[in-house]
Amino acid sequence: MRSTPQHSPSRTSKRLPIRSPQDLAGGVLLLAIAALGLIGSWHLDFGQFGGVGSGMVPKAVSVMIAGFGIGLIVQGFLSSGGEQMAPWSFRGLFFVLGAALLFAWTIRPLGLIFAGPIAIVFASLADRTTRPLEIGIFTIALTAFCIGLFSFVLRLPIPVLPSSLPYPLDAIF
Amino acid sequence: MTELTDNLALGFATALTLKNLGLCFLGCMIGSLIGVLPGVGPIATIAMLLPLTFGVDPVGALIMLAGIYYGAQYGGSTTAILVNIPGEATSVVTVLDGHQMAKQGHAGIALGICAIGSFIAGTVATLIIAALGAPLTKMALLFGPADYFSLMVLGLVFAVVLARGSVPKAIAIILVGLLLSTVGIDIETGEERLTYGFNELADGLSFAVAAMGIFGFAEIIRNLEVKETREVVQAPIGRLLPGAKELRQSAAPIARGTLLGSLLGLLPGNGAVLGPFASYTLEKKLAAEPERFGQGAIEGVAGPESANNAGAQTSFIPLLTLGIPPNAVMALMVGAMTIHGIVPGPQVISHQPALFWGMIASMWIGNLMLLIINLPLIGLWVRLLKVPYRLMFPAIVVFCCIGIYSINNSGLEVFMVAVFGLFGYMLVKFGFEPAPLLLGFVLGKLMEEKLRQALVISRGSFMTFFDRPISAILLALALALAVIAVLPTIRKSRDTVFQE
Repeated sequence: MRSTPQHSPSRTSKRLPIRSPQDLAGGVLLLAIAALGLIGSWHLDFGQFGGVGSGMVPKAVSVMIAGFGIGLIVQGFLSSGGEQMAPWSFRGLFFVLGAALLFAWTIRPLGLIFAGPIAIVFASLADRTTRPLEIGIFTIALTAFCIGLFSFVLRLPIPVLPSSLPYPLDAIF
Repeated sequence: MTELTDNLALGFATALTLKNLGLCFLGCMIGSLIGVLPGVGPIATIAMLLPLTFGVDPVGALIMLAGIYYGAQYGGSTTAILVNIPGEATSVVTVLDGHQMAKQGHAGIALGICAIGSFIAGTVATLIIAALGAPLTKMALLFGPADYFSLMVLGLVFAVVLARGSVPKAIAIILVGLLLSTVGIDIETGEERLTYGFNELADGLSFAVAAMGIFGFAEIIRNLEVKETREVVQAPIGRLLPGAKELRQSAAPIARGTLLGSLLGLLPGNGAVLGPFASYTLEKKLAAEPERFGQGAIEGVAGPESANNAGAQTSFIPLLTLGIPPNAVMALMVGAMTIHGIVPGPQVISHQPALFWGMIASMWIGNLMLLIINLPLIGLWVRLLKVPYRLMFPAIVVFCCIGIYSINNSGLEVFMVAVFGLFGYMLVKFGFEPAPLLLGFVLGKLMEEKLRQALVISRGSFMTFFDRPISAILLALALALAVIAVLPTIRKSRDTVFQE
């Protein structure tokens, strides 16, 4: 855990008395999770203490999470010297997570021989210093290495070659 | 005593077959190889390499996994010393003096003393596990559902105390973990919970997927934000074997670190992470010239590294005797065991003695192997660490994808990893520490099961948690810990420990 949020003096603004945006955002996130929990367990029986129903734990836990969420939101407005939000790296999020999504989408129809390079090249775009020629050679070498290691040496049942052409797009899950 | 030697003999007979030795070696090698990569800690390493063990028989698979675990740990220390980057929370301390030693041209000795200290700590911890395993297992049979529940509450309270940052956030994040554990079909009623109509969620969320997203992908994205400041030590590595003077300096810190780490590793709720911090603080207090610490003091490497390894090993005890994983790494071990049809808990030792003792023996063999294979390989690690991150991280991404896909041959799980990656990134940005979430997730199912059993037995009375002596003591301990955690003076000193 290397990124330690910096303590910075709270800004004083007349319109938005948000002292700690980090706590406020955290509280909103907790409320959203609690809402998801309650929606997902709404139809379940709460039961009694002698015969706990399937809904008791998810509902009770969701309510507690909501409580902490409200607490954090209040703290976000009241606490002095709260913490500012560190800037987000949308580039990293988009390309790194996108690479995983592309891999999930292409591995079955295209096989590792194509899904691997797609994921590697897409992920590499997350870094501004990536050089085209270097990443091209690296991609070929790494794909060959992965196929050799995972498919031939370790014998994992991962598809290497495309299953069929043309590939239906819904064949992934 | 004869029982202990008999058991260990059975263990070594199991572990010392050519095949199991080979698996242990392979695990240590691949574990160190992945663990050396900056930003990849043991949790991500194990989640990534889990599928490698699927084709092996249960005993071999667990031996290999233990090898991967130790390899990953040692790889993290190597990175901490050679580069100024701790691979995981527990090697933060090693960075302080280890990297200074490396800058002064003593990287070899720092790595050597790490390996030797870890080996000694591993040997002692193996003996402790062997000695305590059987009696603790017998004690575990006295535990009723209420006692189990209270023990897990204690573990979670402990996790809150250990978490950095605000206490309410730590509690909230544990609750989120508990909520995540309820996804899937309810074991008692067969109703679908929190599946939102997706059939794929009926089996529940996979722990490896959550761990990989939160600790693997979120970590990669955060590493990309930091400007590349990785400096692999330019100074020569120097000789590897410490001389008489260094050994004399390190002997006492290794002994103290081993003891501290072993004790802390026994605690539920990931007490093992405390070991290196406690050992470093202790050595600094005891030192004749405390100002040497931070400037390359060998005691500051020897003690914490021994504590780290001892704790890593004794944290197997709660898992093997009670079936309760005390931290995220052990939770992954549970996942691996379940895949091979082993339910961790007190019954393993009586039903599958070869597996239990074989694994314990292989812990020691794994430590020995690390000592032998890692020292000659340091040159290779140095060269690997010189690979720039812009090439390293796409490789890590694709390894993670292949690893997760292979667990269930499921593209959906790779998709879920990305979702958890986003979630983990948000948590860090909003000031939550993600480790307690995984512990809540790990313990959630078992806690709910035990809660329901306990309440059925007591016909709905919560007094059962206070009437049973074991449960009452555990809850009292949990309460005492919670009070300590919120007391301002202790909080302050806790924060300084973490800052050091």
